[in-house]
Amino acid sequence: MSDPENACVSEDLGGYTLVRVRGEVDLSWSQQVRDAILAALGRGGVGVELAQVTYIDSSGIAALVEGFQRARSKGERFGLIAASKQVLAVLQLARLDKVFPLFADTDSARNA
Amino acid sequence: MNAVALAAAGDSERRALRFLAELSQALAESLDLRATLNMAVTRIADFMQAEAASLFLLDHAGLIECRICVGPVDITGLKLAVGQGVVGRCVADNATQIVRDASRDARVNIRVDAETGFATRSILCAPLSNARGPIGALEVINRRDGSLFDEDDAEILRLVAAPAALAIGNAQLAHGLVEQQRIKRELELARRMQKSMLPRRRRGDFPIRGVNLPAHEISGDFYDFFDLADGRLAFVIGDVSGKGLDAAFLMVRVASMLRWIGARAPAPGAWLGEVNAELCRTLQDGRFVCAAVGQYDRASGEVRLASAGFPPALLHDAGEFEELPADGPPLGILAEADYGEREFVLGARALYLFSDGATDVRTGATDRLGEAGLRGLIARHAALAPEPRLRAVIGDLKRLRLVDDTTLLLVQEPCGAQAHGLLDLDFPAQATQMRSVRAALRHALDAQGIAPELRDQLVLAVDEACTNVIRHAYGGECTRRIALHVARERDMLAFELRDQAPAIDPGCLKPRDLSECKPGGLGLPFIAATMDDWKLEPAADGRGNILRMHKRIDIGEHE
Repeated sequence: MSDPENACVSEDLGGYTLVRVRGEVDLSWSQQVRDAILAALGRGGVGVELAQVTYIDSSGIAALVEGFQRARSKGERFGLIAASKQVLAVLQLARLDKVFPLFADTDSARNA
Repeated sequence: MNAVALAAAGDSERRALRFLAELSQALAESLDLRATLNMAVTRIADFMQAEAASLFLLDHAGLIECRICVGPVDITGLKLAVGQGVVGRCVADNATQIVRDASRDARVNIRVDAETGFATRSILCAPLSNARGPIGALEVINRRDGSLFDEDDAEILRLVAAPAALAIGNAQLAHGLVEQQRIKRELELARRMQKSMLPRRRRGDFPIRGVNLPAHEISGDFYDFFDLADGRLAFVIGDVSGKGLDAAFLMVRVASMLRWIGARAPAPGAWLGEVNAELCRTLQDGRFVCAAVGQYDRASGEVRLASAGFPPALLHDAGEFEELPADGPPLGILAEADYGEREFVLGARALYLFSDGATDVRTGATDRLGEAGLRGLIARHAALAPEPRLRAVIGDLKRLRLVDDTTLLLVQEPCGAQAHGLLDLDFPAQATQMRSVRAALRHALDAQGIAPELRDQLVLAVDEACTNVIRHAYGGECTRRIALHVARERDMLAFELRDQAPAIDPGCLKPRDLSECKPGGLGLPFIAATMDDWKLEPAADGRGNILRMHKRIDIGEHE
């Protein structure tokens, strides 16, 4: 995460973990996003907030898919929150836009 | 009132209520308002025991017109002013009128009786109104048994008028919506017809290109180009004064005239003169047309040009602009106007003709781009080939705010169709390099006027190709190099990615099926979904691999 614009921060909301991602998610640090998402599992539910993500490549998408699949296998909730239009475009290209639960904000993701 | 009279009154009220309920339902269910109102007026006449009944509606001119009439004398179509006669008074006051003895009542219009021989004795008239006020009136005349209408009758007619007014109001609303839809459809049709009048973009190295951006559905601007019998090319650009449908119709007419006369290849000044004379004969209400016409001889490079009040044409060459002002007034103003013309050799220069919409583009709340601003845009994209340059200029204009129809015509010989490079990068195979590679690529694609959605997708595809080289060809990050070359030839973007890794068997690269949801292997499908074609092959000298990807971009027929 050498670039100061890139960041990935987890926040425990009590029975729900919010992972806020920011910047351009690419091969240079997508492993850190993956680690953060996987670490958030096992505490009730995970939401990945992507409003400030201006770019995401296939390695970033792979981190989301892996988190989603692991959450499902544990019966946990997993959702993408406020995905930016750049993220949505890549999800559509990967035909994953109908796969992930998408939410407008944290509250609707937690209460889903 | 004794018991019998009371019972009779109760009975008549029940009858009235039942009638009202039936009438309301018939009106509410009505799909054909005219037929239903006809039926309703007949039933009202019967129920009220009246010899005649009529329904009046206010028209757009503020007159009250008889729309439906039953009885011995047909007064359908009769028009009254508000305040005139019993009906006019009823509408003016928005109040029920009773005339007990017509022969002695000043409100009664005696003309109809005089003309028809009908003897009006007693009249009841109730207003039809909605929330915004009166929309008409319902009138009944003469009880069939010869008795006079009383207050109870007036009350019943007032009640009956309410559902009738409601049904008419609904029908008028529905009619208004249908009318709006129809106008919208017709405008769309007009827009398509206008667009179809513009010449088709010619492929290959054709030297004339035009773009028309209507500010609204329809445009008062036009351009045209066509072949002359002697092999020269003729071109036309014009701007009709005013906006909207009448400007659009005039545009169609003037464009046809210019083409019709222009096909005989008159000298440009005479060409404008003929069209001007015809327009001066037929144009009214101060409208006029600004136009420029010309002929271009590709063999000699000679251009002949004449302008009728059109914004100055620009000749651009290596940073220098030459301005060619108009040769006479706009068409349709001065019948005796004389149009001069100018001749020059185009050479490698570019001739720009633009309607004033291009300089009227807003750069702020009120600031216009102006001619200097437009020159700046042209100069900024001067390095591009004609087609992408015109696109880039149009792209810039669109990013500002168009307030008027905007049309650009560019006459220039293509300077060879060879591909021109857009980007050359050489960087170590490290993931941290990719951010700046993407930024440089975005910048290069933006300069080509490529839409942001497609640009982002192309950047993603190239990024995926680079990270595949890092991860798979080099087997991880290292200091060896990746070279990216991006070029454009007309509407084709070419991406070339070279590495120095051991040769890869192209057969082992197959994009996976995206309908399966799994984390890895998305890079290649992204490339396949974005590019028109892609191919990986070993470099000719045996050192490394070359990935070639192509994407055709839509440069649009007329924008």
